Amino acid sequence: MIVADKIVKSYNGNKILNEISLELNRGEISVLFGPSGCGKTTLCRNLTMLEYPDSGTLKVDEQFYQFPSKNNFPVMPFPKVNMVFQQLFLWPHLTNEQNIKLAINDFNKEKNERFEYLTKLLKIDDILTQYPNESSLGQKQRVAIARVLILDPEFIFFDEMTSALDIVQTNNIVKILLKLKDVGMGILIITHNINFMERVADKLLFMYDGKIIETGNKNIIKKPQTEILKKFLGI
Amino acid sequence: MESVFEIIYKYRDAFAGGLFVTLKLCLITWIVGLVVGGSLGILSVKWKKAIGIPVRSFSFILSGIPILVFLYWLHYPAQTLLNIVVDPFYTASAMLTILNIFAVSDIVRGGIENLPNQYIEVAKICGLSNKKRLFKIEFPLIFRHIFPPLLITQVNMLHMSLFASLISVEEIFRVTQRVISIEYKPVEIYTALGIFFLLISLPLNGIALYFKHKYGRNLSER
Repeated sequence: MIVADKIVKSYNGNKILNEISLELNRGEISVLFGPSGCGKTTLCRNLTMLEYPDSGTLKVDEQFYQFPSKNNFPVMPFPKVNMVFQQLFLWPHLTNEQNIKLAINDFNKEKNERFEYLTKLLKIDDILTQYPNESSLGQKQRVAIARVLILDPEFIFFDEMTSALDIVQTNNIVKILLKLKDVGMGILIITHNINFMERVADKLLFMYDGKIIETGNKNIIKKPQTEILKKFLGI
Repeated sequence: MESVFEIIYKYRDAFAGGLFVTLKLCLITWIVGLVVGGSLGILSVKWKKAIGIPVRSFSFILSGIPILVFLYWLHYPAQTLLNIVVDPFYTASAMLTILNIFAVSDIVRGGIENLPNQYIEVAKICGLSNKKRLFKIEFPLIFRHIFPPLLITQVNMLHMSLFASLISVEEIFRVTQRVISIEYKPVEIYTALGIFFLLISLPLNGIALYFKHKYGRNLSER
């Protein structure tokens, strides 16, 4: 379980995250949505601790992090808590296969089976020898997902994963997400796609101006409680 | 009447001597320039204020000084001021090496600074060790970015080595001028020299362009 409490993050005096508190569970798909620039990606970066929050606390299972901290943390949340970036950032000088395998130090039989399973599941087994620039966006996205999944993460954040996908590709992603949820992975998705969130979300978090304004199940987009969410949804 | 080939053959020892001096000049310039310039480029990123700003400032000033003026200044006023006499070969080596050091340093610094940080962040979040991150991600990506301009810069240094003739360094251009003064066949002999430089430069420039195209395409995916 990931529990964030009163997370604050500022850039140049602008408060991007304003006392954010949330809880993410295993086997649950949470969807974070809100207008562009409201701090969604920054929140994910702070939850993975790619960036440190200015203040607040973060608990990832038994590991507790308090901010600000003068000391380095001996154990970081990643790669257990991992993230697929919106722009993917596949390493361009490596093939798709090398991109997926690079983080694995001891590539044993078990890892190889997992690699083969994932590449088949994500339908990328025929593009492994290609370089990222030779693959389509959908393929690259699946390679980026495989690169994270091979690490066997417990929580995975997806930043705007459906923004450039067509209906067929989105359907495939939905199937994969539901499979991941079934095996107990905790998932947080940033998306603007209302239809997509209705299909996959167990929990919705509406963010506005650095704050979580509304949280709940799918009903919050049908019956929003706040004026801000109503306005955002055009109701 | 002698053909250009006969003239080259006749003066083969002089040409070989000139070529040897040119290559010696270039080797010093290339090796010291790449090693010192590369190190300076890395240090400029690491210590921006202490090293980066002075190096960039000096490089900026240097870019505004014509090569000939710089060479003549090093050869005549500087030596008069310091009351020393330095062999023109060393003066020319120093000038070319200084130019190469700052050119290489600029390229290396730019390559490091322009590497998209997100590639490193992804490596970090995927749990790559510092060593793996450096050797498998940072170094190859930076190298691909800087290799073509470095190669082109080294070819330019070879071309600039001809300026050494102006302070009486007996390199290939100087030898060519001497032969022309005896044989009175400037068109043929300068053309032969031009072809000689083309034969050396074009393959190197071709390699640089090939890698620029190949790696540039990959990196454009950021």
